[in-house]
Amino acid sequence: MPIKSATKPVSVNPLKVGQPLGGVLALQGMYRSMPLLHGAQGCSAFSKALLTRHFREPIAVQTSALQEMDVIFDADRNLEEALDHIWSKHHPDVIGVISTALTEVAGVDFQSRVKAFKRERALKDSLLFSVSLPDFHGSLETGYSSTVESLMDAVLGLARGKSPKKRRRTQVNLLPASYLTAGDVMEIKDIIASFGLEVISLPDISTSLSGHLLTGFSPLTRGGTPLDSACQMLESSCTIAIGASMERPARRLTHAAGIPYHLFDGLSGLAASDAFIHFLQKISREPAPVRFRWQRENLLDSMLDAHFYYSGASAVVALEPDHMLSTAAWLEEMGVELKRLITPCSTPALLKTEREVWIGDLDDAEESAQGVDLWISNSHGRKGAARAGASFIPAGLPVYDELGAHTSVSVGYRGTMEWVNKVGNVLLAERGKGG
Amino acid sequence: MEAAVSNGRLEVSCGNKIPKSTPCPRPVPGEASGGCSFDGAQITLIPIADAAHLVHGPIACLGNSWESRGSLSSGPELSAYGFTTDLGEQDIIFGGEQKLHESIRYIVSRFAPPAVFVYTTCVTALTGEDIEGVCKAESERLGTPIIPVNSPGFVGSKNLGTRLAGDVLFQQVIGTTEPEQTTSHDVNLIGEYNIAGEMWHIERLMQQTGMSILSRITGDGRFREVGWAHRAKVNMVVCSRALLGLAVQMERKYSIPYFEGSFYGARETSYSLRQMAYLTGDRDVERRVDKLAAREEMRLSLELEPYRKQLKGKRAVLYTGGVKSWSVITALQELGIKVVGVGTNKSTAEDVSRIAARIGDDAEYIPEGGARQILKTVRSRKADMVIAGGRNMYMALKEQVPFVDINQERHKAYAGYDGLLSLAKQLVHTLQHPVWGLAAKLAPWEEETEFAD
Ligand code: SF4
Repeated sequence: MPIKSATKPVSVNPLKVGQPLGGVLALQGMYRSMPLLHGAQGCSAFSKALLTRHFREPIAVQTSALQEMDVIFDADRNLEEALDHIWSKHHPDVIGVISTALTEVAGVDFQSRVKAFKRERALKDSLLFSVSLPDFHGSLETGYSSTVESLMDAVLGLARGKSPKKRRRTQVNLLPASYLTAGDVMEIKDIIASFGLEVISLPDISTSLSGHLLTGFSPLTRGGTPLDSACQMLESSCTIAIGASMERPARRLTHAAGIPYHLFDGLSGLAASDAFIHFLQKISREPAPVRFRWQRENLLDSMLDAHFYYSGASAVVALEPDHMLSTAAWLEEMGVELKRLITPCSTPALLKTEREVWIGDLDDAEESAQGVDLWISNSHGRKGAARAGASFIPAGLPVYDELGAHTSVSVGYRGTMEWVNKVGNVLLAERGKGG
Repeated sequence: MEAAVSNGRLEVSCGNKIPKSTPCPRPVPGEASGGCSFDGAQITLIPIADAAHLVHGPIACLGNSWESRGSLSSGPELSAYGFTTDLGEQDIIFGGEQKLHESIRYIVSRFAPPAVFVYTTCVTALTGEDIEGVCKAESERLGTPIIPVNSPGFVGSKNLGTRLAGDVLFQQVIGTTEPEQTTSHDVNLIGEYNIAGEMWHIERLMQQTGMSILSRITGDGRFREVGWAHRAKVNMVVCSRALLGLAVQMERKYSIPYFEGSFYGARETSYSLRQMAYLTGDRDVERRVDKLAAREEMRLSLELEPYRKQLKGKRAVLYTGGVKSWSVITALQELGIKVVGVGTNKSTAEDVSRIAARIGDDAEYIPEGGARQILKTVRSRKADMVIAGGRNMYMALKEQVPFVDINQERHKAYAGYDGLLSLAKQLVHTLQHPVWGLAAKLAPWEEETEFAD
């Protein structure tokens, strides 16, 4: 639980990104949706460019394009114009209006404006919601989970009034954390489905950002959770939240519809995978499919093969909070000494962990990385790792200097094995150099 | 070719040195694209490699944007560091000036840079922080130039930010240092960002003719070197309308003649070198340029031969965001490629007329609309490929249209004679890649189900 932070006044080589980026990411996992950043146009251009670079996919996002005078006189006018424009031109199923530091500081009451717009236009079958995401709080993870929470609220609002249907025993909800890749989400859905369960993921980037060649250009998202599936979440028997940041949106469903939730801090590592499979066995009342026995054996065997190279190794891990905790968990299983764990912002989950966590930037990582074997962070860490002489493993977001990062799998027995080998190979290569 | 020597007069456009009364067109909410002025200022100044660049505001502005450009440095790496005051809620309520003071002191004491550029962003502009005051106080206290860059995102487009950055250089940097030595063949390159090392290639060509770069403004630049730019004999503005104002101001104040040119394509490269040589006023250098141009063009045409054969008659849609269009068009035409569509969304009237002079009415002009419009043009004009920036790359790939990246994020150098050869090779390799054939076919089992139906 001890949380530390650097005392320098300035952030040097930041790990943090703005919360709105997390909001934009969450909305990529909704079908035919458009995130609308309420701010000046640079914020949306940067978000788009960053996510495009990471996912190597087109990214849907728009802006209310505020200019100086708009902020001073009437930011609402731009918001309304933007909503009008998007609605009449593209007819999206979902629009999420996301504030930025600029609109938060200007103190514009965009949320009532959004509500009024909804009332005036009597929008019934599409979803228009807003979320407050100033850049001066939190980071990607908090922006993402707040957006999912607001989205969940909006879905509940939409589904309310429709006749309450029966619970479906074999249907479960999945709330995947922001750090899970498109490949991870696909793998988790696949694991759940293999127990004979139907799963609705909110959001679902595995069908929107994993790469597909649908033709016919659209500025909206192509893939993701359809709105009517999202509404059916109310009929599920339980909700599975992956990552502590997803607990709040999961609670929303519990409060509103009495659906129990189960939280998994992460799904990487043997213990975490075991707990997940065991849980699925219980709720499905089906035996674990035999392939998981194989996968578990394979993973254990890989861990044994790799442990020679891991033993005595040390690492610096700089990632968003949930991702950092889940990465620390499997590295600990491999006996890695965690020299420093760094994350950009504080979250409730960090207060509960036994590990010492550092709130900081990549410069703090560099300071502690001398003589360390591994450096795990987003691509911005590559130069610092080189300066410190640590082997660099890209993870998190953005990863722009490695192909396939967004589809690589780190969850379950198979995903853990992939990472145990991937990182093990780096350690092995280092050893080969006689260093 | 373009108006070679400066005429001292300015056209009205956003990226240009504009009179205050002519505002840039307002971006359309819900349909806007492109970066903010802060982005433009950063793009222009960050290539000054030995300076520290400090972004004053909440995290998004730097956190979402750093390390996204391909400007290379031959030495110092400090400008690759991301510095931000990363304001939190308390800082915004109580004011971030104190934090700015401390941040500047911290950076100067730890990194000892020759200068610190401090960027305003939307939030710190809105809350009215006295950034200039802080910079002035710290400059005096530390004896290091601390330079405020007042270009918050919400004042306008990226181009405007580039122009504002040019003003910053003119007013606060240029003329503050003196070079150790000068020659009569010193040239400044303005608006060349050394993407993928393009400038180094140009520099080698210049050296062969006896010319040298006095100041790089700003690709692979050094702070002190920009400071002595006023001692150059010639300014070349490298396809950057937005920095034209800087050249104009320098001509007025320091009587340095300027011209606009480009290094894309052999013809433009030879022209630019000739223009430089002409403006230095040294006949010897001019003769050397003529020789070099003749030799290089001859060599190039031999080496290009096999590629030209394969590219002849191919049709391309070009969407570069405007500024570079005309020069890239020339390069493509030299390779025998027909430009059937061209983006003009960020072009000035002058750019458009230059484009028109090269492709006439044959091509479709795509003023607005981005991806959708590009694809429409590809279809209607039966284009073989799209040449554009990374932003539009993936939409082209989804539609299985061959794509070549021409913008800032790319890793290949296309400038100069050898650059044209690289471009030709890249185009041929892209067009002939086996993946297009594979992607066009259905899986065999899908074909069979179709028969079974
Ligand atoms: S628009 Fe303003 S807040 Fe957004 S990135 Fe640009 S400067 Fe920063």
